[in-house]
Amino acid sequence: MFSEELKAFRRLGIRHVLLQALNFASVIASGLMIWKGLGLLTNSESPIVVVLSGSMEPAFYRGDLLFLTNPSSERYHNGDITVYKVPGADIPIVHRVLETHDAKSRGTYSPLNQRLLTKGDNNEVNDIELYRGLEYLERKHIVGKVRGFLPYVGYVTIAMNDFPQLKYALLGGLGLLALIQRE
Amino acid sequence: MHSIYARVNNISAFLSSCLMTLLAAIAISSLLVTYFEAPLEGGSITVNSIKVKHGKGRQYRFEHAFVDFEIDSDLSPLFNWNTKQLFLYLDAEYTNDKGVKNAVVIWDRIVRRKEDANIRLKSRQKYLFKDITGFKDASAVYTLRYNVMPWVGALTYGTAGSTNTSVPFPPLISNA
Repeated sequence: MFSEELKAFRRLGIRHVLLQALNFASVIASGLMIWKGLGLLTNSESPIVVVLSGSMEPAFYRGDLLFLTNPSSERYHNGDITVYKVPGADIPIVHRVLETHDAKSRGTYSPLNQRLLTKGDNNEVNDIELYRGLEYLERKHIVGKVRGFLPYVGYVTIAMNDFPQLKYALLGGLGLLALIQRE
Repeated sequence: MHSIYARVNNISAFLSSCLMTLLAAIAISSLLVTYFEAPLEGGSITVNSIKVKHGKGRQYRFEHAFVDFEIDSDLSPLFNWNTKQLFLYLDAEYTNDKGVKNAVVIWDRIVRRKEDANIRLKSRQKYLFKDITGFKDASAVYTLRYNVMPWVGALTYGTAGSTNTSVPFPPLISNA
Protein backbone atom coordinates (compact mmCIF):
# COMPACT_ATOMS: atom_id res chain seq x y z
CA MET A 1 0.00 0.00 0.00
CA PHE A 2 2.78 2.42 0.95
CA SER A 3 5.38 0.82 -1.37
CA GLU A 4 5.22 3.74 -3.80
CA GLU A 5 5.75 6.24 -1.02
CA LEU A 6 8.55 4.20 0.50
CA LYS A 7 10.30 4.05 -2.87
CA ALA A 8 9.96 7.81 -3.22
CA PHE A 9 11.29 8.18 0.28
CA ARG A 10 14.43 6.14 -0.56
CA ARG A 11 15.03 8.03 -3.77
CA LEU A 12 15.10 11.36 -1.94
CA GLY A 13 18.01 10.36 0.26
CA ILE A 14 18.91 11.19 3.79
CA ARG A 15 19.97 14.80 3.14
CA HIS A 16 16.60 15.70 1.74
CA VAL A 17 14.77 14.08 4.61
CA LEU A 18 16.90 15.98 7.09
CA LEU A 19 16.32 19.23 5.25
CA GLN A 20 12.57 18.70 5.34
CA ALA A 21 12.69 17.89 9.03
CA LEU A 22 14.60 21.13 9.57
CA ASN A 23 11.97 23.06 7.61
CA PHE A 24 9.25 21.51 9.69
CA ALA A 25 11.04 22.44 12.91
CA SER A 26 11.58 26.03 11.76
CA VAL A 27 7.88 26.41 10.97
CA ILE A 28 6.99 25.26 14.48
CA ALA A 29 9.68 27.46 16.05
CA SER A 30 8.57 30.61 14.21
CA GLY A 31 4.97 29.92 15.19
CA LEU A 32 6.01 29.74 18.82
CA MET A 33 8.10 32.90 18.49
CA ILE A 34 5.18 34.84 17.01
CA TRP A 35 2.88 33.63 19.81
CA LYS A 36 5.33 34.57 22.58
CA GLY A 37 6.18 37.89 20.84
CA LEU A 38 2.47 38.76 20.73
CA GLY A 39 2.26 37.87 24.40
CA LEU A 40 5.09 40.31 25.20
CA LEU A 41 3.53 43.09 23.12
CA THR A 42 0.09 42.75 24.66
CA ASN A 43 1.30 41.89 28.18
CA SER A 44 -1.03 38.92 28.17
CA GLU A 45 -0.15 35.29 28.74
CA SER A 46 -2.63 34.32 26.05
CA PRO A 47 -3.28 37.16 23.55
CA ILE A 48 -5.63 35.09 21.37
CA VAL A 49 -8.35 32.92 22.92
CA VAL A 50 -11.15 30.73 21.62
CA VAL A 51 -14.60 31.09 23.17
CA LEU A 52 -15.50 27.79 24.82
CA SER A 53 -18.92 28.45 26.34
CA GLY A 54 -22.20 30.11 25.46
CA SER A 55 -22.29 32.48 28.42
CA MET A 56 -21.67 35.56 26.26
CA GLU A 57 -24.24 34.73 23.57
CA PRO A 58 -25.47 36.33 21.38
CA ALA A 59 -22.23 38.29 21.15
CA PHE A 60 -19.75 35.42 21.23
CA TYR A 61 -20.46 31.81 20.33
CA ARG A 62 -18.36 28.71 20.82
CA GLY A 63 -15.44 28.76 18.42
CA ASP A 64 -15.18 32.52 17.95
CA LEU A 65 -11.68 33.99 18.18
CA LEU A 66 -10.92 36.90 20.54
CA PHE A 67 -7.87 39.18 20.53
CA LEU A 68 -6.74 40.52 23.91
CA THR A 69 -4.50 43.20 25.34
CA ASN A 70 -3.63 43.78 28.98
CA PRO A 71 -1.57 46.99 29.42
CA SER A 72 -0.49 47.15 33.06
CA SER A 73 -0.98 50.93 33.25
CA GLU A 74 -4.59 50.81 32.13
CA ARG A 75 -7.61 50.60 34.39
CA TYR A 76 -10.47 48.28 33.61
CA HIS A 77 -13.89 49.84 33.18
CA ASN A 78 -17.42 48.57 33.45
CA GLY A 79 -18.55 47.09 30.17
CA ASP A 80 -15.09 45.84 29.23
CA ILE A 81 -15.06 42.17 28.36
CA THR A 82 -12.33 40.41 30.29
CA VAL A 83 -10.79 37.00 30.14
CA TYR A 84 -9.90 35.77 33.61
CA LYS A 85 -8.52 32.70 35.30
CA VAL A 86 -9.13 32.16 39.01
CA PRO A 87 -6.60 30.01 40.87
CA GLY A 88 -7.64 26.38 40.82
CA ALA A 89 -9.73 26.64 37.68
CA ASP A 90 -7.97 25.53 34.51
CA ILE A 91 -10.30 27.07 31.93
CA PRO A 92 -10.15 30.83 31.33
CA ILE A 93 -13.55 32.55 31.36
CA VAL A 94 -14.72 35.35 29.03
CA HIS A 95 -17.14 37.66 30.88
CA ARG A 96 -18.06 41.34 31.08
CA VAL A 97 -17.11 43.66 33.95
CA LEU A 98 -20.12 44.60 36.09
CA GLU A 99 -18.43 46.44 38.97
CA THR A 100 -15.05 48.07 39.54
CA HIS A 101 -13.73 49.20 42.92
CA ASP A 102 -10.56 51.29 43.22
CA ALA A 103 -9.13 51.63 46.71
CA LYS A 104 -6.29 54.00 47.49
CA SER A 105 -2.97 52.42 48.35
CA ARG A 106 -0.10 54.63 49.53
CA GLY A 107 -2.05 57.70 48.52
CA THR A 108 -2.65 56.82 44.88
CA TYR A 109 -5.20 54.89 42.86
CA SER A 110 -3.15 52.21 41.14
CA PRO A 111 -4.72 50.24 38.30
CA LEU A 112 -3.06 47.14 39.73
CA ASN A 113 -5.07 47.55 42.89
CA GLN A 114 -8.44 47.28 41.20
CA ARG A 115 -11.09 44.80 42.23
CA LEU A 116 -13.62 43.62 39.66
CA LEU A 117 -16.91 41.78 39.54
CA THR A 118 -17.94 40.15 36.26
CA LYS A 119 -21.00 38.61 34.66
CA GLY A 120 -21.73 36.76 31.42
CA ASP A 121 -24.21 38.57 29.17
CA ASN A 122 -26.21 35.39 28.82
CA ASN A 123 -26.18 34.53 32.55
CA GLU A 124 -28.80 35.69 35.02
CA VAL A 125 -26.45 36.26 37.93
CA ASN A 126 -22.94 37.54 38.47
CA ASP A 127 -19.86 35.38 38.71
CA ILE A 128 -19.24 35.20 42.47
CA GLU A 129 -20.01 31.47 42.41
CA LEU A 130 -17.25 30.98 39.82
CA TYR A 131 -14.59 32.74 41.88
CA ARG A 132 -14.00 29.75 44.20
CA GLY A 133 -14.34 31.65 47.44
CA LEU A 134 -12.96 34.99 46.29
CA GLU A 135 -15.23 38.01 46.84
CA TYR A 136 -13.89 39.87 43.83
CA LEU A 137 -11.50 39.35 40.95
CA GLU A 138 -8.14 40.99 41.37
CA ARG A 139 -6.02 42.35 38.59
CA LYS A 140 -3.62 39.41 38.77
CA HIS A 141 -6.40 37.03 37.78
CA ILE A 142 -7.12 38.90 34.56
CA VAL A 143 -5.59 37.55 31.35
CA GLY A 144 -6.72 40.46 29.19
CA LYS A 145 -9.38 42.72 27.74
CA VAL A 146 -11.16 41.73 24.51
CA ARG A 147 -10.25 44.19 21.75
CA GLY A 148 -11.03 42.35 18.53
CA PHE A 149 -13.30 39.60 17.30
CA LEU A 150 -13.15 37.05 14.48
CA PRO A 151 -16.06 34.59 14.21
CA TYR A 152 -15.88 30.78 13.77
CA VAL A 153 -12.12 30.48 13.09
CA GLY A 154 -11.35 28.95 16.48
CA TYR A 155 -13.78 26.13 15.92
CA VAL A 156 -10.91 24.04 14.53
CA THR A 157 -9.34 23.81 17.98
CA ILE A 158 -12.67 22.91 19.59
CA ALA A 159 -13.18 20.18 16.98
CA MET A 160 -9.66 18.88 17.68
CA ASN A 161 -10.38 18.76 21.41
CA ASP A 162 -13.72 17.03 20.92
CA PHE A 163 -12.33 14.52 18.41
CA PRO A 164 -8.67 13.83 19.29
CA GLN A 165 -8.35 11.47 16.28
CA LEU A 166 -8.71 14.54 14.05
CA LYS A 167 -5.72 16.15 15.76
CA TYR A 168 -3.48 13.12 15.19
CA ALA A 169 -4.69 12.69 11.62
CA LEU A 170 -3.99 16.33 10.85
CA LEU A 171 -0.56 16.36 12.52
CA GLY A 172 0.44 13.04 10.95
CA GLY A 173 -0.75 14.12 7.50
CA LEU A 174 1.11 17.42 7.69
CA GLY A 175 4.28 15.71 8.89
CA LEU A 176 4.15 13.13 6.12
CA LEU A 177 3.54 15.76 3.48
CA ALA A 178 6.43 17.87 4.75
CA LEU A 179 8.78 14.87 4.51
CA ILE A 180 7.67 13.48 1.17
CA GLN A 181 6.91 16.64 -0.79
CA ARG A 182 9.52 17.65 -3.37
CA GLU A 183 10.31 21.26 -4.14
CA MET B 1 3.08 20.81 -11.18
CA HIS B 2 -0.49 20.49 -12.34
CA SER B 3 -1.53 17.79 -9.99
CA ILE B 4 -4.87 17.85 -8.21
CA TYR B 5 -3.03 18.54 -4.98
CA ALA B 6 -1.40 21.68 -6.40
CA ARG B 7 -4.68 22.94 -7.82
CA VAL B 8 -6.61 22.42 -4.57
CA ASN B 9 -3.80 24.11 -2.71
CA ASN B 10 -3.81 27.12 -5.03
CA ILE B 11 -7.57 27.54 -5.01
CA SER B 12 -7.92 27.29 -1.24
CA ALA B 13 -5.02 29.71 -0.70
CA PHE B 14 -6.59 32.19 -3.11
CA LEU B 15 -10.05 31.84 -1.54
CA SER B 16 -8.78 32.29 1.99
CA SER B 17 -6.73 35.37 1.09
CA CYS B 18 -9.79 36.88 -0.64
CA LEU B 19 -11.88 36.18 2.45
CA MET B 20 -9.27 37.68 4.76
CA THR B 21 -9.03 40.85 2.62
CA LEU B 22 -12.81 41.21 2.59
CA LEU B 23 -13.05 40.78 6.38
CA ALA B 24 -10.23 43.28 6.92
CA ALA B 25 -11.97 45.78 4.61
CA ILE B 26 -15.23 45.42 6.56
CA ALA B 27 -13.51 45.79 9.93
CA ILE B 28 -11.38 48.80 8.93
CA SER B 29 -14.16 50.66 7.08
CA SER B 30 -16.57 50.36 9.99
CA LEU B 31 -13.85 51.47 12.41
CA LEU B 32 -13.17 54.56 10.25
CA VAL B 33 -16.88 55.37 10.14
CA THR B 34 -17.13 55.12 13.93
CA TYR B 35 -14.06 57.30 14.32
CA PHE B 36 -15.28 60.13 12.08
CA GLU B 37 -18.94 59.96 13.09
CA ALA B 38 -20.39 62.77 15.18
CA PRO B 39 -20.95 61.74 18.80
CA LEU B 40 -24.47 60.80 19.86
CA GLU B 41 -26.54 63.73 21.00
CA GLY B 42 -29.80 64.28 22.82
CA GLY B 43 -29.53 61.36 25.22
CA SER B 44 -30.81 62.06 28.71
CA ILE B 45 -30.77 60.14 31.97
CA THR B 46 -33.02 61.21 34.80
CA VAL B 47 -32.95 59.74 38.28
CA ASN B 48 -36.44 59.95 39.73
CA SER B 49 -35.93 58.55 43.19
CA ILE B 50 -33.36 56.75 45.30
CA LYS B 51 -33.94 54.83 48.51
CA VAL B 52 -31.21 53.44 50.74
CA LYS B 53 -32.03 50.50 53.02
CA HIS B 54 -30.21 48.01 55.24
CA GLY B 55 -29.30 44.67 53.76
CA LYS B 56 -27.77 41.54 55.22
CA GLY B 57 -25.71 39.02 53.29
CA ARG B 58 -24.13 35.73 54.26
CA GLN B 59 -21.21 37.43 55.98
CA TYR B 60 -21.61 41.17 56.05
CA ARG B 61 -24.16 43.88 56.64
CA PHE B 62 -24.36 46.38 53.85
CA GLU B 63 -26.54 49.12 52.45
CA HIS B 64 -28.83 48.65 49.49
CA ALA B 65 -29.66 51.45 47.09
CA PHE B 66 -32.82 51.31 45.00
CA VAL B 67 -32.75 53.64 42.03
CA ASP B 68 -35.68 54.59 39.80
CA PHE B 69 -34.50 56.14 36.59
CA GLU B 70 -35.60 57.22 33.15
CA ILE B 71 -33.67 56.82 29.90
CA ASP B 72 -34.36 58.71 26.70
CA SER B 73 -31.72 58.05 24.09
CA ASP B 74 -31.69 57.22 20.39
CA LEU B 75 -28.85 54.85 19.56
CA SER B 76 -29.94 53.87 16.05
CA PRO B 77 -27.08 55.85 14.38
CA LEU B 78 -24.71 53.28 15.87
CA PHE B 79 -26.02 50.56 13.59
CA ASN B 80 -24.03 50.06 10.40
CA TRP B 81 -23.01 47.12 8.18
CA ASN B 82 -20.69 45.75 10.81
CA THR B 83 -22.87 46.09 13.93
CA LYS B 84 -23.89 42.75 15.37
CA GLN B 85 -25.39 44.15 18.53
CA LEU B 86 -25.21 46.94 21.06
CA PHE B 87 -24.60 46.32 24.71
CA LEU B 88 -26.11 49.19 26.72
CA TYR B 89 -25.40 49.67 30.38
CA LEU B 90 -26.17 52.27 33.01
CA ASP B 91 -23.14 52.98 35.12
CA ALA B 92 -23.33 54.53 38.60
CA GLU B 93 -20.02 56.08 39.68
CA TYR B 94 -19.43 57.32 43.21
CA THR B 95 -16.74 57.62 45.85
CA ASN B 96 -17.70 56.34 49.27
CA ASP B 97 -16.75 57.38 52.80
CA LYS B 98 -13.48 55.46 52.74
CA GLY B 99 -12.30 57.06 49.50
CA VAL B 100 -12.94 53.96 47.39
CA LYS B 101 -13.92 54.83 43.83
CA ASN B 102 -16.76 52.59 42.74
CA ALA B 103 -18.44 52.04 39.42
CA VAL B 104 -21.45 49.73 39.38
CA VAL B 105 -23.60 48.65 36.46
CA ILE B 106 -27.20 48.85 37.68
CA TRP B 107 -29.03 48.12 34.43
CA ASP B 108 -28.14 46.70 31.04
CA ARG B 109 -29.74 45.64 27.79
CA ILE B 110 -28.69 43.94 24.57
CA VAL B 111 -30.04 45.63 21.43
CA ARG B 112 -29.86 43.49 18.33
CA ARG B 113 -31.95 45.46 15.82
CA LYS B 114 -31.87 49.07 14.70
CA GLU B 115 -35.65 49.29 15.25
CA ASP B 116 -35.17 48.63 18.96
CA ALA B 117 -32.36 51.14 19.39
CA ASN B 118 -34.52 54.14 20.30
CA ILE B 119 -34.58 53.66 24.05
CA ARG B 120 -37.32 55.31 26.09
CA LEU B 121 -38.02 53.67 29.39
CA LYS B 122 -38.67 54.04 33.07
CA SER B 123 -37.15 51.36 35.20
CA ARG B 124 -35.70 50.31 38.51
CA GLN B 125 -32.17 48.94 38.76
CA LYS B 126 -31.72 45.38 37.55
CA TYR B 127 -28.69 44.34 39.63
CA LEU B 128 -27.92 44.62 43.32
CA PHE B 129 -26.57 48.04 44.13
CA LYS B 130 -24.90 47.63 47.50
CA ASP B 131 -22.01 48.98 49.51
CA ILE B 132 -20.53 47.53 52.69
CA THR B 133 -19.22 50.92 53.79
CA GLY B 134 -22.55 52.57 53.04
CA PHE B 135 -23.74 55.41 50.85
CA LYS B 136 -23.51 58.04 53.59
CA ASP B 137 -22.82 61.55 52.18
CA ALA B 138 -21.98 60.04 48.78
CA SER B 139 -23.40 61.06 45.45
CA ALA B 140 -23.25 59.27 42.13
CA VAL B 141 -23.10 60.21 38.46
CA TYR B 142 -25.28 57.97 36.29
CA THR B 143 -24.04 57.45 32.74
CA LEU B 144 -25.54 55.42 29.91
CA ARG B 145 -22.71 53.76 28.00
CA TYR B 146 -22.66 51.46 25.02
CA ASN B 147 -20.42 48.82 23.55
CA VAL B 148 -20.74 48.24 19.81
CA MET B 149 -20.05 44.58 19.10
CA PRO B 150 -19.07 43.92 15.50
CA TRP B 151 -19.55 40.99 13.13
CA VAL B 152 -15.80 41.11 12.71
CA GLY B 153 -13.11 43.51 13.96
CA ALA B 154 -12.62 45.81 16.91
CA LEU B 155 -15.02 46.46 19.78
CA THR B 156 -15.81 50.14 20.36
CA TYR B 157 -17.22 51.99 23.36
CA GLY B 158 -18.99 55.30 23.92
CA THR B 159 -21.36 57.35 26.03
CA ALA B 160 -25.01 57.94 25.16
CA GLY B 161 -26.16 60.25 27.94
CA SER B 162 -25.55 61.16 31.54
CA THR B 163 -27.14 62.88 34.51
CA ASN B 164 -24.19 65.31 34.13
CA THR B 165 -24.39 66.36 37.77
CA SER B 166 -23.95 63.94 40.62
CA VAL B 167 -27.10 62.81 42.39
CA PRO B 168 -26.72 62.54 46.19
CA PHE B 169 -27.86 59.40 48.01
CA PRO B 170 -30.58 60.06 50.59
CA PRO B 171 -30.10 59.09 54.24
CA LEU B 172 -30.66 55.48 55.25
CA ILE B 173 -34.21 54.35 55.92
CA SER B 174 -34.18 52.12 59.00
CA ASN B 175 -36.13 48.88 58.78
CA ALA B 176 -37.46 49.07 62.32
